[in-house]
Amino acid sequence: MRRFGRWLAEHSIAVGSPLVLLGAWEWASATGLLREAFFPRPSTIAVHLRQLGADGTLWGHLGATLVRIGWAFALAAVLGVGIGLAMGLWRGLREGLDPVFAVIYPIPSILFLPLVGFLVPPGEIAVVVTTAVTSFFLIAFTTTHGVRQIDRVVVEAATHYGARGWRLFTAVLLPGSLPSIFTGLRLGLGFALIVVVAVEIVSTSRGLGALLWLSWQILKVEDMYATFFVIALVGAVLYHGLAALQARLLPWVQDVADR
Amino acid sequence: MPTPVPKVLVNEVSVTFESHRRSVLALDRISLQAHAGEFLCVVGPSGSGKSTLLRVLAGLLRQSAGEVRIEADHPGSPLTAMVFQEHALLPWRTVRDNVTFGLENRGVGRAEREARAREMLAMVGLTRFAAHYPHQLSGGMKQRVGIARALASDPEVLLMDEPLAALDAQTRTIMQEELLRIWAALGKTVVYVTHSLEEALLLGDRIVLLSARPGRVSRIYPVDLGRPRGLEVRASPAYGALLETIWARLREEVVRAMAEDRGPDPDRASA
Amino acid sequence: MPVALLALWEMASRLALVSPRYFPAPTTIGAVLVDRLTAGDLGGALLVTLARLGLAFALAAVPGVLLGLLMGIARAFRAAVEPYVAFVFPVPKIALLPFLLIILGVGEPAFVLTGAASAFFQIVISTLGGVRTMDPRLLEVGHNYGAHGARLFWKVILPAALPAIFTGLRLGLGLALIALVAVEFIAAKSGLGHLVYRHWQMLSTPEMYAAFALVGALGLLLTRGLRALQARLLSWQEESF
Repeated sequence: MRRFGRWLAEHSIAVGSPLVLLGAWEWASATGLLREAFFPRPSTIAVHLRQLGADGTLWGHLGATLVRIGWAFALAAVLGVGIGLAMGLWRGLREGLDPVFAVIYPIPSILFLPLVGFLVPPGEIAVVVTTAVTSFFLIAFTTTHGVRQIDRVVVEAATHYGARGWRLFTAVLLPGSLPSIFTGLRLGLGFALIVVVAVEIVSTSRGLGALLWLSWQILKVEDMYATFFVIALVGAVLYHGLAALQARLLPWVQDVADR
Repeated sequence: MPTPVPKVLVNEVSVTFESHRRSVLALDRISLQAHAGEFLCVVGPSGSGKSTLLRVLAGLLRQSAGEVRIEADHPGSPLTAMVFQEHALLPWRTVRDNVTFGLENRGVGRAEREARAREMLAMVGLTRFAAHYPHQLSGGMKQRVGIARALASDPEVLLMDEPLAALDAQTRTIMQEELLRIWAALGKTVVYVTHSLEEALLLGDRIVLLSARPGRVSRIYPVDLGRPRGLEVRASPAYGALLETIWARLREEVVRAMAEDRGPDPDRASA
Repeated sequence: MPVALLALWEMASRLALVSPRYFPAPTTIGAVLVDRLTAGDLGGALLVTLARLGLAFALAAVPGVLLGLLMGIARAFRAAVEPYVAFVFPVPKIALLPFLLIILGVGEPAFVLTGAASAFFQIVISTLGGVRTMDPRLLEVGHNYGAHGARLFWKVILPAALPAIFTGLRLGLGLALIALVAVEFIAAKSGLGHLVYRHWQMLSTPEMYAAFALVGALGLLLTRGLRALQARLLSWQEESF
């Protein structure tokens, strides 16, 4: 009973604190304590958000961003998991690629935009490929790590009970690295969102990043806040959604610890 | 008494570990036999190569010299199945699927696998936990799954690498009794590695004492105590005398191993 | 392997198998790099980016660690603050840039704060994780041997969380660099990110690649350096991954 009381108290704080903040913001903007030009009232922002949705503007931009993230993530996931597994399994490949990856990985992805533009047709494809770069490295790294951290005794036991070759891979090495792969996919998806917004700001006229930047340039502050809210929502849904998916798909993982 | 049939034959087996800096002799010309249906215990100080010997028998490690022969009486059965010290279950498989893992790898059909798993889980008392994942089980239960997995593949010889070492004292006592019950019911040949002399005296038909590194057969003791070995057997003078005899010799080996560990060589291979 | 790749690129570019206009030979880029680092715009841009990075990191690290620790110790405080952190953490911090530009005007404070925001949330999350995942037995040991209140915090909680804090700082620094370079690429008129952008627009590719390589070297140096530092400072850690 006391535990329930504590649970209730903490959860009412968690729900209540944002409500209080929104209320305070509304009041402060209404009374002029905050300059409404910079901090429009939450209720005004909500009205603008509804308008953006009603005239279809929002859906077009949101759709463009989601499609780009989807392609980029698919590209990064397939290549990243594939190459990561190969690097985890074959030492020669790992030792060859590690230094190359170590040099390229810390470079902020947005800088790849010009380079990618030289390699593939500019436009959507360049945007998607640029968005995929950092996610790819993250996913490849975590996948390699996933293969390498599998308990050697477990592998030995599996071999002893007759799992070899392909069977050892599908029954032991792949499931053993899945928790790590999932972490990589989650981080990779987060990074894809970061990069796509930045790329959209620089080089496209459609997408949430473009809408955000345009709203700033023509000083539609309410639209800026509304767009920001949508971007944050997309981030939260992607991040927490994949965590829920992991809990569902990998029930044997004891706790999905956020690092 | 019928003439014992040799089931496991180990002849002059040596194992050398090569690393890039040095080579370490782990087992030095080990020779021993286990008879069909025998419960053979192997004891020795840490680093005497007990586990190494077991890994050679399991085919997980190749000996550098010598010969290992295991008599195959049932064609189609694996020669050995091992119960690992840290249970080594696959965390992503349920209890049932861990038990059937070896059968699956050998291409045994689904229906037969399921039936076999039911039988083995009933034997180790885990029927209700078939759909659980290993992390939901206690240490003792995990090791029961490890035992069920080994028995499910119906091996010629059961190998056990300190299977109860990680358990608390009460659980260990109960597991020892269950192990004997299962062994009596199935009549398997068992090679059982332990660091506990009391455990070996409780379980074994014979006890092989290995010397400190490099592992050599120091001596082999028959345990003529009769079964079951309840409290009165353990209170008997014969038990005490045997314990004292083997312990005196084991103590020497342990002291020798410790002295070697404290020795002047700072970068020896770790135990 | 990297050397082999560079040699391959050099050959392909020299033999015009790839367009030298878009992919100038590595030696050409290297020459430009050396040239401009001392005399030209490259050295100046590097210093500008470094200054922004240092400032952003300092602005994020101190409050980030404090907030994370506070959230880890005080449950009620965590309950009040966690919703914001959970909501803002997955948001690309570059999206904050227009707000900061509006509120603070176009200039250094807005640029630096965007970088700081990027690092801040990572540091908070890592620090909080470090406090929350510490072995509860350590707290019991602390109590049992007479460490309470501030003593418990300084002697047990903080050291236990230190590896996670350090990891947070390392990741945060990387994220700050990413955000700052993006800000420079998008909005600022100075720094390495801007240099890549300008030379891209002017199609002066050797200069573009030189700036690009410098960012890569900076990133590598920071991540490797901090990792080595962590291994050195927290030598009691079994393995610093």
